[in-house]
Amino acid sequence: MVDAARQPRIDVRAYTEVEKVEGFVGNFKVTLREKAKHVLADRCNGCGDCAKVCPIEVPNHYELNLAPRKAAYVPMSQSVPLIYSIDLDACIHCYKCVEACGPLEAIDFSQEDKVVEEDIGAIVVATGFSHFDPTVMEEYGYGRFPNVITSMEMERLNNSAGPTMGNLIRPSDRKNPQRIAFINCVGSRDKRYIQACSNFCCMYSIKNAVLLKQMDPSVDITIYYMDIRTPSKGYEEFYDRAREMGIHFIQGRPSLITEDEETHNLFIHSEDITLGRVIENEYDMIMLNQAAIPQPDQNHMSSVLNVAQSPGGWFMEYHPKLRPMDSPTDGIFFAGACQGPKDIPSSVAQGSAAASRASRILLSEKWEIEPIVAVVWPERCTATTKGRACGLCVKACPYGAVVIEGDKPAEIITAKCHGCGGCVAECPDDAITQLHYTDAQILAQMRAVLADKPEEKILAFRCHWCSYGGADLAGTSHFEYTANERGLRVMCSARMDSDFIYEAYRLGAGAVLYSGCHPQDCHYITGQIIGAKRADRLKKIFDRMEMTEGRFRVEWISAAEGDKYARVLNEMQGVLDNMSPEQLQDEISRLKPDMEKRLRRLPGVPDVPEAMVYSDALVKAILQAKETA
Amino acid sequence: MSHPIMIRTFADEVKGIPGGEHLELCYSCGTCVSKCMIQQKVEPDYNPRRLLRLAMMDMKEEAFESPTTWMCSECDLCYQACPQEIHISQVIAAVKQLAVDAGYTSPLTPVSVDEDLCSGCGICVMVCPYEAPSLFDKDLNGELDRLSQVDANKCMRCGTCVGACPLGAIAREGISNTDIQLQIPSEAMSIPDIITFVCDWSLREDADIQILERYPAHQVNVVHIPCTGRIDPQHALMALDSGVKGVLVCGCKPGECHFKRGNHVASCKLGLLDTMLKQIQPPHKEIRFVQIGTQERGRIRHEIDGMLTALTDNKEAK
Repeated sequence: MVDAARQPRIDVRAYTEVEKVEGFVGNFKVTLREKAKHVLADRCNGCGDCAKVCPIEVPNHYELNLAPRKAAYVPMSQSVPLIYSIDLDACIHCYKCVEACGPLEAIDFSQEDKVVEEDIGAIVVATGFSHFDPTVMEEYGYGRFPNVITSMEMERLNNSAGPTMGNLIRPSDRKNPQRIAFINCVGSRDKRYIQACSNFCCMYSIKNAVLLKQMDPSVDITIYYMDIRTPSKGYEEFYDRAREMGIHFIQGRPSLITEDEETHNLFIHSEDITLGRVIENEYDMIMLNQAAIPQPDQNHMSSVLNVAQSPGGWFMEYHPKLRPMDSPTDGIFFAGACQGPKDIPSSVAQGSAAASRASRILLSEKWEIEPIVAVVWPERCTATTKGRACGLCVKACPYGAVVIEGDKPAEIITAKCHGCGGCVAECPDDAITQLHYTDAQILAQMRAVLADKPEEKILAFRCHWCSYGGADLAGTSHFEYTANERGLRVMCSARMDSDFIYEAYRLGAGAVLYSGCHPQDCHYITGQIIGAKRADRLKKIFDRMEMTEGRFRVEWISAAEGDKYARVLNEMQGVLDNMSPEQLQDEISRLKPDMEKRLRRLPGVPDVPEAMVYSDALVKAILQAKETA
Repeated sequence: MSHPIMIRTFADEVKGIPGGEHLELCYSCGTCVSKCMIQQKVEPDYNPRRLLRLAMMDMKEEAFESPTTWMCSECDLCYQACPQEIHISQVIAAVKQLAVDAGYTSPLTPVSVDEDLCSGCGICVMVCPYEAPSLFDKDLNGELDRLSQVDANKCMRCGTCVGACPLGAIAREGISNTDIQLQIPSEAMSIPDIITFVCDWSLREDADIQILERYPAHQVNVVHIPCTGRIDPQHALMALDSGVKGVLVCGCKPGECHFKRGNHVASCKLGLLDTMLKQIQPPHKEIRFVQIGTQERGRIRHEIDGMLTALTDNKEAK
């Protein structure tokens, strides 16, 4: 940290909050609130004379309230930059610190918060994690029994710079404990509190146990665990070493801790699973390894940064396997436990990856994006035609790339757009189109496919990332499926406009497959959810129209499910085979007027030759707009 | 699309019974086993975790013969503690139901009804937490007589009905009225200051029971009962009548009763008794009902010491 602060090109802003993040990759405008320290940063030399004379003592948050601090303080002795601050909530305005500071005149009680705006190219979020409060688990008695402490508190007691100078003592009588127990999974892997595993606590408790055993080999240490998870290199060997050192491991989650009221010794009631027998052991001190939870203000940060959260509240990465350091928003990256609980090696690896990703942005003059982006046709937007934008596009966008300011038509920040096409399909007035997948292009494909004997054809809409891959796999694996299938690629199931489906039936298609990724696998975060909602709506409409079941089918098929793709299509072919040609023809002509009625957008969409002109004109218009900008 | 449940294995059968659905969520942490007191106090082979495992592995016969199937009294302390939120007692009840259907019977001896004394009043039906007693009409030489009968597979032997029966028609070995009367000292020489009725489950720790036993016989006399629901106000009154100064009834904390709601029945009875005593105001006599929670190690000492001092102070003041 000291090294980083000495780098001329690294600017450390301590005691500063991010208030607002606007803009996009390479061009973020970040509003920062530099909180008032009441000490002038350029004058304070960190001598600490103000703290020495300060008469006020308040609990020290950094020491987990095990020690006091003064109202003039630094959060911890290794703080960087080493600048004191005055806690005005506790200060009694005796001004002794001003006297003590003397000729430096670093203390300024009139200082106020400063709001600054900075141009930022890329953002790396490294806000870390917080701890589950075990007070709510009454069975462990934390907060009631003085000798039940958390492992973080033990870290402070065991730290040579901590409140006891590294002397581990029992809070009840200040004696050194001889029998120590660690309890793992306090709050984690527990559906009542935190369902997830906190990843690092197994190794963390073994580390602490080894540390204590090394300091005093006569200490008797037991670790209560449900499963010991040692998945990384060298971890299992470390676990072996701990057992060789004589640390006891008991498999069994303690159900109860009781306390002897005179000695304040503690009793752990648990089952020894290996023996299948209930045991009750006495200890001098118990450390709870609490679950890791997101920071208390993670929700707030998530809305400031416009970054989604995974279940559990952690920041959501772009892709859990391939891009774990990227946020879904270009130019924002994650390092460490803010994205999910992880140990130090993984945090360092992710941090380095995030830094290199960020520097790639800072070093490039231009930022290339996929050409498949959405474009607004402002004169068609309801903002222009009816005076007020409907906002459906904003709701549909998983990236916050669509912006509506006041009564102005919707606008798309091209740098943020990833090209799922959700807004395009949602727009009721056809005011948004997607380059390379314009309505005209897709309709032209459909019309070509359904030109001849449409009632025999099965039109399959496949999303680019999953179902198209599934169809590919079905082909390369030589799975046999009906030859009447005609596949159409769009980027995401969110792009599968209801008008395409109506048009397919209007043209007399035999059956239509609506396929995309599984809900959790969507390439565009929530694109599949938008598509699935629309599919549900369509299904209800077609049910009301009394369409034969199976002629419209919704399936989520991953790229690995070639067999499923083949099976689904064969089943659809079966549905068509079960109907006589007359029956099918009757149904198609019965539903045709209904479909025509529902196609409210189609008159606005040009046919094939027109579409070419339309696309060209559109591209030209965009290029022009960019030049002028 | 709805998926029909295919019942192929024993585990499927258990999961098919309401309450048994979450069987396979168990990851064998052992919390339930140590939270429950049956293994420590009564049956070393009692182990809910292992029963769930037996059911999961389709070991039907062993599950049916396991003492766990028959001895769980549905106190649900384990349900509150289970990190997977499995309603363990209901899973066990599902296994038990299958066992009963398969013709297995409970190894526990149920309470017995003396048909000559039973009047068919139905109070036992009302107080039983397990719906074990029911009324039926018996044909006695052409006359129908309404009597109570106890379902042996449902009775958990808590004795709540024994304490509630106004005619003393229900009995259980060890805790029938005469058994308890014998434990209450009647000779003038050996009359203690306090008689404590201790439910078998409220004092979790051996240490707590040792505390009780350490008091000299002239101070404290201990009567063990399976549940405070077994308390008969008569016994308390008889004890006071014989010269005992105080009666202390020690039961489980509300919500922690080993027999679902025996402590609630007791608090109703003792509440009434207390009101009655206040009207009579007998000198130097007191009845107290304490409810001790699982984590209140050593509290019994305070309660008894407190009562002893209160009684002596009272005496001196008078």
